[in-house]
Amino acid sequence: FSSGRRRHREPAAEGCPPGDGGSMRCQQVSVLYFARSAELAGLRSETLSVPRQITSLQLWEEIVKVHPRLAVIRDQVVFAVQQEYVLLGDQLLVLQPGDEVAIIPPISGG
Amino acid sequence: MDESKDVPKDFIKLKSEKLSVDEVSELVISPYCGAVSLFIGTTRNNFEGKKVIHLEYEAYTSMAETEIKKICRDVRQKWPSVKHIAVHHRLGVVPITEASVIIAVSSPHRAESLEAVMYCINTLKASVPIWKKEIYEDEYSWKENKECFWANSEK
Repeated sequence: FSSGRRRHREPAAEGCPPGDGGSMRCQQVSVLYFARSAELAGLRSETLSVPRQITSLQLWEEIVKVHPRLAVIRDQVVFAVQQEYVLLGDQLLVLQPGDEVAIIPPISGG
Repeated sequence: MDESKDVPKDFIKLKSEKLSVDEVSELVISPYCGAVSLFIGTTRNNFEGKKVIHLEYEAYTSMAETEIKKICRDVRQKWPSVKHIAVHHRLGVVPITEASVIIAVSSPHRAESLEAVMYCINTLKASVPIWKKEIYEDEYSWKENKECFWANSEK
C-alpha cells in the first residue's frame, strides 16, 4: 500500500452545472453529429454528461458550451432523442444513461 | 392458389454501391400483382446556374431505416392492397446521372402502387434523416428539402 498514494476527487462532469444532486443528477449520453453540425463541431460522436432532466433547449445550450461554433445553426436544427424528433424548446427530456441524442440539420434525402 | 405464401414484405437498404433498377423491381414482383410502380431519383448536373460535379450523401443510418419502415407501415394502412415495397438509397458519392434513390411498389392494380410510390418519395424527403451535399467546382452546399418541416427556407 503506497504511502505516496494521492487521493483525488472526480472532476465535475463536463456540461453539468454545479448544484444540488437531486433532479440535476448527471447522465452520460451519446451525442451524434451529422452533416453541417459535424463540420462545425469537428467530430461525429462523443459522450457528454448532461442533467438527467433537461429541456431540449437547455440540452442544446449544454452542447453549444462544448462546441460554440454550433451556435450559427441553432434556428435550423432539431434533435433526435432515442430516434424520435424533438424540436428545440420547452419539451422536458428525461434521459437514461447511454441514450442517443443526434443533432439533425435540415434533411435532404431522396 | 395460396396467396398466404406471398407475405407482403418491405425491402429497405442504404448502401454505398451503385443502385440497380433491375434488382429493386425484381424484389417486389409478385404473381398476385399486375402492377409494379417505380421512382428513380437521379443526380442532376446543375443547380441555379452552377455546375454540379457530384452529390455526396450521409445518413443517420439506424434512424433512417426506422423512419423508412414507418413510411412502409403508413403505405400499407393507406393502400391495403399494396404487396411489396422496396426502398434503396445510396450513400457516399453519387456521380451525375446515377441513381441516389429507387422506390418500387407492387399491387394487384396500378392505381395503388402509383400513389404509394409518390407518397414514399414525398414522405422520405420530409422525414428520413439523410443529408445531401452538392459539390460544385469551387464550393459545396448542404441541401435542404422544402419538405423538411423544421427548416427555415429563405425564399
